Amino acid sequence: MLAVDLFVNGLIVGLFYALMAVGLAMIFGVLKIINFAHGEFYMIGAYTYVLAALKLGVSPWIALPLAAVAGGAIGWLVERTLMRPLYAGYASWSIMKDEYAVVVTFGLSLLLINVVDKVVGPYPYRGPTLTESSRFAFGPVMLNGQKLIAAAVSAALLVGLALFIKRSLWGRQIQAVAQNRLGASLAGIDATRTTSLIFVISGILAALSGALLAPVINPSPDVGAFPAIKSYVIVVLGGMGSVWGAMLASLLLGVLESFFAVYVSYDYRDAFGLLILILVLLFRPQGLLGERGREL
Amino acid sequence: MNRANAPAASNGERNLWSRRLALDFRAALVVVAALAAAPLVVTSPYTLGILIVSMYFALLALGWNLLAGFTGQFSLAPAAFAMLGAYGPGLFDYQWHLSLAWGIPAGVVGTAILGWLLGRVVLRLRGPYLALTTLSFAEIARVVVGNSYDFTRGAQGLNVPTLMQSRVGYYYLFLGVVLAVLVGLYVLMRSATGRFWLAIRDDETGAESRGINVVRYKTLSFALSCAICGLAGALYGTFSQLVSPELGLLLQTGIVIAMVVIGGMGTLTGPLIGALLVYLASEWMRGFGNVQMIVFSALVIVFARFFREGLWGLATRRVRVTRRTTVAAQ
Repeated sequence: MLAVDLFVNGLIVGLFYALMAVGLAMIFGVLKIINFAHGEFYMIGAYTYVLAALKLGVSPWIALPLAAVAGGAIGWLVERTLMRPLYAGYASWSIMKDEYAVVVTFGLSLLLINVVDKVVGPYPYRGPTLTESSRFAFGPVMLNGQKLIAAAVSAALLVGLALFIKRSLWGRQIQAVAQNRLGASLAGIDATRTTSLIFVISGILAALSGALLAPVINPSPDVGAFPAIKSYVIVVLGGMGSVWGAMLASLLLGVLESFFAVYVSYDYRDAFGLLILILVLLFRPQGLLGERGREL
Repeated sequence: MNRANAPAASNGERNLWSRRLALDFRAALVVVAALAAAPLVVTSPYTLGILIVSMYFALLALGWNLLAGFTGQFSLAPAAFAMLGAYGPGLFDYQWHLSLAWGIPAGVVGTAILGWLLGRVVLRLRGPYLALTTLSFAEIARVVVGNSYDFTRGAQGLNVPTLMQSRVGYYYLFLGVVLAVLVGLYVLMRSATGRFWLAIRDDETGAESRGINVVRYKTLSFALSCAICGLAGALYGTFSQLVSPELGLLLQTGIVIAMVVIGGMGTLTGPLIGALLVYLASEWMRGFGNVQMIVFSALVIVFARFFREGLWGLATRRVRVTRRTTVAAQ
């Protein structure tokens, strides 16, 4: 019954991946760039949670929304200061747009890592758990309370995001801008504000992902690199820019990896996802869902 | 394509680009000359070591700039190729007890072939897709090297024999290689090949429609760029006498990008002065509480946002303006 355990735990890991990857997919959907600083949004969320709980002594349940606020703020700030040249009236920049995005987000990633390293210190912190409980067996599946609660929060956030994008006015505006920025502007949608909104949402989700995992990952300044690479794989697998594709691909990657680590090779489990990334880009660049998945 | 179609650089009618390239090359030679004179003043082995490492980064920056700055292929794998190149002499010594005379060429040829293959594979990919694929390649290379305990001793790394005992000897070896790479790049950029690379960078579809063999010139750029990085890595391995997967960390690629962006992309002097300034300044800033990475990552963002032409571009801005006014006056 190892397989059932692997499957369920893989799905749970996939939920955490999804929180990261959905934001990355939305940013790609709207700006057609990869945010290489996405892992640092995650890192900032993890640190805010841990430091608020340990240094300020607030309850983990208050530290969690604080992490979301920090993530949203950093997302907003990044969009406001660095992303505007990609679309707002800098016509002559269009040739170098891709290069600018890579350099700036890569530089930002280094900057945030090193600032945190300097301010907080390079040593990992152990985050407080949301609930105290030991491991228990649920049928053949080994779980613990923290993992279960974190998974439930993640699932709720993802469902909430899906409803938000499908139903709410702002969500529809996001869809419109992702489909056609110019057309959306002509229809009276403030595309700039919508892009800000996307960065805020991405920041919040990535930060919450970091905060929820903080008790497991023991945040250190470079903790974001690993989930960031996972979310690149997921965004490619799900079809660049597709939110639904990213959600599906996260769960799939979580499960595939947990099986790969046990049945094939533990050492190479990280290389496995990257190999998928290269193969998908070469042979199925539209991702798992194909063109249909392009609808944000 | 033959010579006749290339801009007539040899006819004495030198256009703005070849003038700028000539100026660029001369400035790079001045930097090399200054470096050649440096051991007269600098005698401490420690400082010489710092200069040697900064020349290692200059080679990586020049190699990456060939691909990203001249050909427009924004790869995130230069550090991975340096690591792979360094494992050439490392593995030849450890596995087969062959001397460095075999190991270093093997590292260079191996990275050239791998670079050519990577270039073939990513031919159709652009922008973010290319960045992600090369990043994946780099990480896979590092994970595979770091986990093949039997073959590469994994994260422990390999000991490499040294080429020579003398620091000054190493210094001039690295300087000679930097000079050779600069001259080679200058000759290439003056030739039709260089023009084709620039054409591919500026408009790939347009270049192809004018009959440029885009596949050939893109893969050539990949192979050459990766071979330069591989050579840098192989030499650095023999200098530090230890190669490990750490050489291929993404952070190293970030540092190389920072150097080229700060110095000036798409030039010869830019990557050179970028690498020297960034590395020397970061050694100097170690004394002030290790703030060098914060300063440089912030600088990269500022340069990319506000001074896209980099330090070299800023320095020659005035030169270009005077030329333009004289042309206008005529």
